[in-house]
Amino acid sequence: MAAHDINLPYVPTWCAGCGDYGIFMALKKAMTSLNLDLEQTVLATGIGCSSKIGQYMNTYRIETLHGRSLPVATGVKLANHNLTVIAEGGDGDGMGLGMGHFVHTARRNIDITYFIHNNQIYGLTKGQSSPTSDLGAVTKFTPAPLGNVEHPINIVKMALNVGATFVARAFVGNSTQLVSLMEQAISHPGFAVIDILQPCVSFNHTNTYQWYQQRVKPIEEMEGYDPADLEKALTFAGLWGEQIPIGLYYQTLRPTFQDSLPQLSHQPLAKQKIDNIDITNLMQKLY
Amino acid sequence: MNKSYYTCLFGGEAGYGVMSAGSIIAKGANRSGLWSFVVNEYPSLIQGGLNSCLVRLSDKPITAYEETIDFLGLFSQQAFDCYADKLNPGAIVLYDATTTKIDATKVPEGTLLCPVALASSIPKGGAKIMINSAMLGAFAAFTGYPKQILIDVMKTEFHNEKIQQENIQILDEVYHLVMETLSSSKTFPFPFEPKAEPKMLINGNEAISIAAIKAGCKFSAGYPMTPGSSVLSYLADHGAEYGLVFKQAEDEIAAINMLIGASFAGTRAIGSTSGGGFALMVEALGFAAQAEIPLVMVNAQRGGPSTGLPTRTAQADLNFVVHASQGEFPRIVLAPGDIEECFYETFRIFNLADTYQVPCIILTDKFLADSSVSQLPFATESLTIERGKLFEAKEQPYLRYENTPDGISARAIPGQVGGRHIATSYTHGEDGFYSSGNKEYALNEPMVTVNSMDKLYNKLPAMEKEIPAIKFYGPPNADLTIIAWGSTKGAILEAMELAASQNISVNFLQILYISPFPITATELVLQQAKKTLLIEGNKTAQLGSILRANTGHKTDYTFLKYNSRAFLPSEILAKIKEVLF
Repeated sequence: MAAHDINLPYVPTWCAGCGDYGIFMALKKAMTSLNLDLEQTVLATGIGCSSKIGQYMNTYRIETLHGRSLPVATGVKLANHNLTVIAEGGDGDGMGLGMGHFVHTARRNIDITYFIHNNQIYGLTKGQSSPTSDLGAVTKFTPAPLGNVEHPINIVKMALNVGATFVARAFVGNSTQLVSLMEQAISHPGFAVIDILQPCVSFNHTNTYQWYQQRVKPIEEMEGYDPADLEKALTFAGLWGEQIPIGLYYQTLRPTFQDSLPQLSHQPLAKQKIDNIDITNLMQKLY
Repeated sequence: MNKSYYTCLFGGEAGYGVMSAGSIIAKGANRSGLWSFVVNEYPSLIQGGLNSCLVRLSDKPITAYEETIDFLGLFSQQAFDCYADKLNPGAIVLYDATTTKIDATKVPEGTLLCPVALASSIPKGGAKIMINSAMLGAFAAFTGYPKQILIDVMKTEFHNEKIQQENIQILDEVYHLVMETLSSSKTFPFPFEPKAEPKMLINGNEAISIAAIKAGCKFSAGYPMTPGSSVLSYLADHGAEYGLVFKQAEDEIAAINMLIGASFAGTRAIGSTSGGGFALMVEALGFAAQAEIPLVMVNAQRGGPSTGLPTRTAQADLNFVVHASQGEFPRIVLAPGDIEECFYETFRIFNLADTYQVPCIILTDKFLADSSVSQLPFATESLTIERGKLFEAKEQPYLRYENTPDGISARAIPGQVGGRHIATSYTHGEDGFYSSGNKEYALNEPMVTVNSMDKLYNKLPAMEKEIPAIKFYGPPNADLTIIAWGSTKGAILEAMELAASQNISVNFLQILYISPFPITATELVLQQAKKTLLIEGNKTAQLGSILRANTGHKTDYTFLKYNSRAFLPSEILAKIKEVLF
């Protein structure tokens, strides 16, 4: 499979310079180098600029509702666990409406990969605060002088706390690392999350390419780094400011949700024969 | 006139096995050539409160119940206070004098008051719930219901050998205790046939669940909400052996989105909830419609608005489910009226969901979902699976939302070679793309929008033709035509029998599928109708407004009941007489 196999004859409608282009390119590269079978891959997205990525990728895609990519992806995976299921959306999509689903998808460790395009702002609705906006961030809904008075959600910390088994943070400006993390995340058996830092060139004038570039630092260069150590990962996750570690924070293996279901041990639900099912036994139980 | 029904009612706090006592009697009757109808009433409480189980028995099929009691088994004072005035002349009241004080002035003349030491018949350390075995022993002795039939049912109900033996022993001891003092007052009116063909004791939710399994449903997701939950627990309990996965979701929103995901991936799926849960699911209902993903949902109605009455019945979600969601789209709303319709129409609706790729809602209520009825085994030989138009690899280029004359396009399932596409919640063109995501589409947006909406509605003619949406009962030229939907059916049919026996001529138009509304079929009936009477379990005559909107017909009379209980045949007969005379 070549990267161009994934392309469709449509030109993306993201703003020039949008971080979504970088994520789009990186995902295509990761999928190509993993040689994913596009017929066996489902991309579930939410709503927002980030979620438009599904419009441009020639796999099976389902563009869901705002915040609902993960439960839809869960249904897809349970119906056919042979599929590679990737979910994508933004910080608003995933940490706002989708927060409950995020927590529960992580704790059930279903084999889904989740890429969060985190630009700390609502882009498609033109510049409102998001659950990851910094304290004091001035947006359409949190105007000056106060700006945003709510603490931002730290996606990595959140993912670690609720049981995700692969947790990484990446910066779209570091494409090589992003592609590699995506490959690892897709290959990881279990719920894998990457918090992808991504500038919104139209509405977030604080967290720009330069802002990130000055702060991001490969996590493996930091003292005491050990991706098998959850406590360490949580400590690194607390770093947000002068230094922002990027890379694989934490990875562990525990049984996936779908592996714990005996019904899935033979074949996917979607492949089962459904003609002439005998319900005599169920009726007799009611005599 | 021979007595045609025998009604037992057991009442007491949760924990005494009130409902299991009723179900043992009903099952015994079902195995012995009789018919039963079991209505459970219970508050939304884990302990205490007044639970009751009414068992109506007959030697012919029963479609409804009356609260006229021939045997009242009391486990608490409250049960006596609540049901004393519902006793038939000559009824037996069985109670334990240590727990229940009987005020003889409150019961009809001729009532037999029978104190039995129920509680003290339980061995030391025995569970409170064993009192129901003592109750059953006394019941058999007083009424003449064969003791051995009860014991045979207990043998299949209690899987734990020790518990089974303990309970049978209590039943036996109390039976003999009563028999020793009893002169003779056997009141049970029907003969038992020990070798009769057994019938199921089944409620609406069980019938829907079994139909789903028969229809090849392999996935269910949901969040508990009375009275919809028992579909989910049935599937959790019995589905696995049929390869079905049930997933308890974090909330109703997750549940319906999981169902949509599974259906998109090619698996038949069902969800079940009540009005409040359905309200949370509405956004995704529209998503399924827009993305044309088959979806089957059960809404078992309870009292509302808001949390309303969790364990009581109502028919007040009709307008809501028919119109639920922003925008507009065709959907199928089925309102089964009895157990057979719960089973056969649920099976059919899985085929309809796949064929038309639309959301389908099975609208029941607590009364239908939760009341158990005698039912002969379902005939399943002629039930066949129809998956609708499916993509075949040779068709290229593949357009998921191709505009066909009947509005239905071929579905490709993820994993199929050549079927890659986008399913989307946005208004889209034939390939699934939409204007704000693509500059090319933006140029043609008004046209794409019209085509997309027309495509959804092009399905209607075929749907209307295929779905047998009404049922008609009674003589064609009756003096009165009753119009109703859902679980009122049983009480109406019994009221019609009563009416016929008094030479009152009534017929009945049952609207089985309410969306799309069966305009032509309904109009044909209305043209013949002399007077019309609408019967519904809500305050605002919701079917009446739908009927009027679709046919222009305003019914001559309405009978609305919204006191959280089901219609009784006697009150429908009274209304018929009021209208006609």
